[in-house]
Formats: sequence, structure tokens, C-alpha cells
Amino acid sequence: MTRPTLRFRPLRPAVASDRPSTLDLLLTITPPPLPAAASLRERPPLNLALVIDRSGSMGGTKLSYARKAARFLAGELTGRDRLAIVSFDNEVQIVVPLRPVADPQPFIAAINTIHSGGSTALFDGWRAGATQVAEHLDPAAMNRVLLLSDGQANHGLTDTDQIAAKVAGLTQRGISTSAFGLGDDFDEDLMGAMAAAGDGTLAHIETPSQLADLYASELQGLTSTFGRRVSLGLRGKHGAEVVDLLNDLTPTGAGNHQLPNLRAGQELNVGLQLELPAWSPNQEILSVRLAWEAPGSGDRQSLIEHLHLPVMESEELKQLEPDDAVAEQLALLRANRERRRVITELDRGDVLSASASLGKLFGDLSAMPATPRLTRELNLLSDKLALLKSDPNRSRKNLRRESQRSSLNVWESDDEQT
Amino acid sequence: MVKVFAPADALYGLEELLLVAGKLLDEEISPRTVRLYATQGLIDRPGKEGRSAVYGHRHLLQLVLVRALARRGLSLSAIAPFCVLADADLEQQLEQLDGEGAAAAAPSVATGNEALRYLRDLSGTSDDADAAGGDSLSFARKAAAMGSVLGMLNKPLSSRSRSDRTPTGSRSSDNGSRWLRFTLAPGIEVHVRDSVLPPPAGPRRQQWLQHLLDRLNALLDDASR
Repeated sequence: MTRPTLRFRPLRPAVASDRPSTLDLLLTITPPPLPAAASLRERPPLNLALVIDRSGSMGGTKLSYARKAARFLAGELTGRDRLAIVSFDNEVQIVVPLRPVADPQPFIAAINTIHSGGSTALFDGWRAGATQVAEHLDPAAMNRVLLLSDGQANHGLTDTDQIAAKVAGLTQRGISTSAFGLGDDFDEDLMGAMAAAGDGTLAHIETPSQLADLYASELQGLTSTFGRRVSLGLRGKHGAEVVDLLNDLTPTGAGNHQLPNLRAGQELNVGLQLELPAWSPNQEILSVRLAWEAPGSGDRQSLIEHLHLPVMESEELKQLEPDDAVAEQLALLRANRERRRVITELDRGDVLSASASLGKLFGDLSAMPATPRLTRELNLLSDKLALLKSDPNRSRKNLRRESQRSSLNVWESDDEQT
Repeated sequence: MVKVFAPADALYGLEELLLVAGKLLDEEISPRTVRLYATQGLIDRPGKEGRSAVYGHRHLLQLVLVRALARRGLSLSAIAPFCVLADADLEQQLEQLDGEGAAAAAPSVATGNEALRYLRDLSGTSDDADAAGGDSLSFARKAAAMGSVLGMLNKPLSSRSRSDRTPTGSRSSDNGSRWLRFTLAPGIEVHVRDSVLPPPAGPRRQQWLQHLLDRLNALLDDASR
């Protein structure tokens, strides 16, 4: 059976024997590639509810694109998949109850009847979509709610923590949630919290024309999912202590952390810093346990790896060249985390400090050897810095999304990747 | 007033065992799973009645425990030591598992019923931040309750033994009040406080019995949830 691999990538490939040392470490998790034989026919069936915000602010172009993208989604599914369409303003409407997508026409006809109206009962809309999926919940399928909203929840339950707790409860019962925010006015903290609690995808879409790409990518992600409800357990051994986890991972029970879904062809990187006492040879430093649930089976599978490194005197250790690829990944993870600090400063109303922090981050990264990925990151940072002045609200939204890249599956459009 | 007592002496065929355990666990269990567990010694060998296998309360407890632990990610070899415990200890294990609830151990398999029930609970208490939800009835108690239903199905009234066919109730005393005790079938009793006056034979009694039957039905549904 194919399994993911877990690699230890230390910044320097040794630890000190004569005095305490710090170990910077990257864990790289690589899901197995999709088997060549896996055609579209063999993918797990999908059991989806698309929940569309039709509050007043969605009127016009946004809703017309949302309808278009929903039609696209219906067209991509097959008779093995089920789809429900739910829309909400202050009231929830089941546009199409969950049913197999043998023929997309009835869906398309119904989707065309969605018109914009009142306020935003986001939680009720989510719950209605989730209930549709739950009524035909299939452990062998990918069961997911896709929530599209452009606004703040302002009707019914609106508290972010409470909503996230309820979404997490449903995740434990086999239905995941992706959250897609559209435009400039949606609540990025709420959408981020829902996607994190929902073990799903987070997307921010600036223009509604990107919706079809997003849905295509979401379908691709769902069908290439190798493991869901992924957890990571880290245990320092013999006095080694994990003092820093660079990713912003949601804690699960028993001191473990939640990772995004494992998808074929998508590597996950986790950055760690450990403090070690003077180390003896052949001593285990760290054990890592990765656990996941394979779609279509209820059983949890796991993988345990143990880290050992050679020891040498600290003077000698300093001479070792750091691994550039590891240094780059660790810097990117730190940059994601640093964005969270910038957001905190922004929320205090301290735009000056926020700009200064962003500027410093930019400076730190630009001092590193240039790579395409770092260059792209520098572009992202300078965009945000410019936006801080012209459109702080949008800058915050983007910073929030980018900060969650190391803890969630975050959709990025092709424009951003190039 | 009606009480149902459920002794742990119900016997099941394979189908019934799968049905009861499946309801308790909210998942479908295949006959292959049961045979696999039996060959691995996780479930005691079934008894024989003619050519078909007969399972009892202990088998049910073992099966439910193995599945419940397996869903929490334990390997079968890690589960094996629990399966040889005495019945009372098996029940205790199940009680403890129950107590952990969905929040702590997060069973890997969630079923439609569970997700759906969770969502329905949300609609009633949308301000309640308790995401875990869950059942208050323990596996063991549900097992006992289900056992009584199966006992009834297993031994229809027509095939009960003569000694069980006691047409008149016997009386017993409980906390100073007096109760009439009727045995309906092996393992199934109805207790009626003697201050309760059943209506005379006729339509009113039929109506009264129907009402009790509905109530019993609802209680059984609750217990099997």
C-alpha cells in the first residue's frame, strides 16, 4: 500500500556534543502520487452542498458569476456524485435538495432562479447545506459543504468562535467545510476559522470571474485527497524540547496538531525549532507521528518516524553550511507567521508599526539568496505594504489569507502563482 | 406505569447480532468482520443451534467494544487484551469509552445519523457552544435495551415455553407500594402499580394498551439512539 513519506530536513545536519544547541528543522510530508491508473472514474464519489450567499450585496455581477460557477460545478459532476444547492439571505432556501447529478440541467434551471435579497444568515445557510449532505452521508465519499459568501454574518448566530466550534463538531462527524470569501466585505477571520475547523479549503476571491477556477481546483483537490483529518504529534526525547512551531496549526486532543488534508502531489512543510542539551551520539532527538483517515475507510492510519542526527563539537557545527532549500522554507513559514503580527498591529489601529513590521520582513527576505519562490513572496509583501496605505481593509484580508497558508489548504489563483 | 426489564440472556443469530451492534455503533457491520474477529479470538466462538451460529450478550459486548476501539485508531492486536475480560469489565470498558465522548477521542467514522442528529441538535440550541453533543445513554445500557427488543423478536409469543405462559400477574412489593408483575415473554416483564386501574375489557382498554404500546415504542427508539 502506498503511504505518505515524512522527511526530516535539518538546517544543519548535526547537533552539538559539548554544549546545548538549537536545532532548526523542517518536516516535509509528501503524499504518494495518484496511481497512474486512477482515472476520473475511480475517484471517490463526492457528496457536496454548495451554499451561496444571496444577500443584497451579492446582487448584480457577483451573483451572476456565482450562478455561472454553480452551473459549471454541476456540469463537472457525474451520476455517482450528489449535489445540493442552498442559498441564503436572512432566510435559507434549499434551491435543489441533495440528489445525484445524472443530468445537470435541473440544477442549472434551479440555479438561474437565485436572486439577491436581504441580510446574511450565514450560519443558518451553512447548517442547511450541511444537513443536505448529512442526509445522504456516505463514509466512502468526500462529504463537504462549500460556502460562498461576500458579507459579514449579521443574522442568526454570528460569533466566530461559536460558529467554528460547530463546524469542527461536524468535521468530526464526517462532513468537512470549505469557506470561500468573495470581494472586499467578507469576514476573513470567520471564513478562515470555518475552513480551519472544517478541515477544508480557504479561498479569497477578489473578482467573481475566478469562481469557476476555484471550483475546478476544489474538485481536483477533493478527488486527489489521500488523507483527511490529519494530525501531527511531536515528542522531543532525552531532554530535547520543541520550543517553536512555525506553522499556525490548530491543536487537537492529546497535544497534537491538525494539518491540512493530504493531497496527491502536494507537499506539506512544518517548521520546528528544538532546544537540545549537550547531545550524546545515537540518541533519539524527536519522534513524529502522522495520522490520517483515508477517504472511503473509517480506519485511521499512522506513520511514525524517529530523528537521529550525528553529533560534533559546536565550533565544528558552526562551520557547516546551512541547507539553502530548508532555510528558504523556514523563512517562508516565518513570513506567514509574521503576517499575523502585522494583523494584530493593524487591529490595534497602529498602521505605522504594521508598515514597519512588513518593511522589516521584506528586508529580511530580500537579504536571502534569490529564488523564484522568494521573489514571489517579496512581491506579495510589497503589494501588501502598498495596500496598507491605499486600502488597509483589503491588505488585512490578503495578509490573513497568506498567513494561513502554512496551516490550511489555501486556494491561490494561477495569476498569483506566476 | 410500565417498566421494561432487560436481562442479558438474549440470543441472536448472526443477522440480529449485526443489526443490534450496528444500531449501537451507528455503522454497518458485515458478517465477514464478525467472522474475522472470531477467528482472531477477539470474539468468543459462537454457540451452535443446529447448523447456525448463536451469539449472546457477551458476543455483542465484545463486538461493540472491538469496533469502538478500532474506530479510535487502535490496532486489533492492541484491542485483543480487552476482549478476554469478564462481561462486567467489558461493560465498564464501554462505559468509559462512552464517557470520553466525541470531543475527546473523535471516532474516525462518523455516520449520517450522527452528523444529522448533531445538526438537528444545533438548530435547537444555536447559542449553545457545546460542539461535542453526544448521547447520554451508555453503550452498555443501550445494549441492554436493545437486547430486550431482540429477545422479543427472537422468541415470539407463540413459541414460548409453557412455564412462561403465566396468565395471571404476580404481586410484589417495592418501596411500600404494590406492583402487579406480568411476564409477557421470557425476559420481558411489565410492572403495574396496583393503584393503576386498567380499563375494563373493550375499546377503552384497547385504546389504553395502544397508548402504552406507542409509549414503549418511543422509549425503545430513544434507547436505541
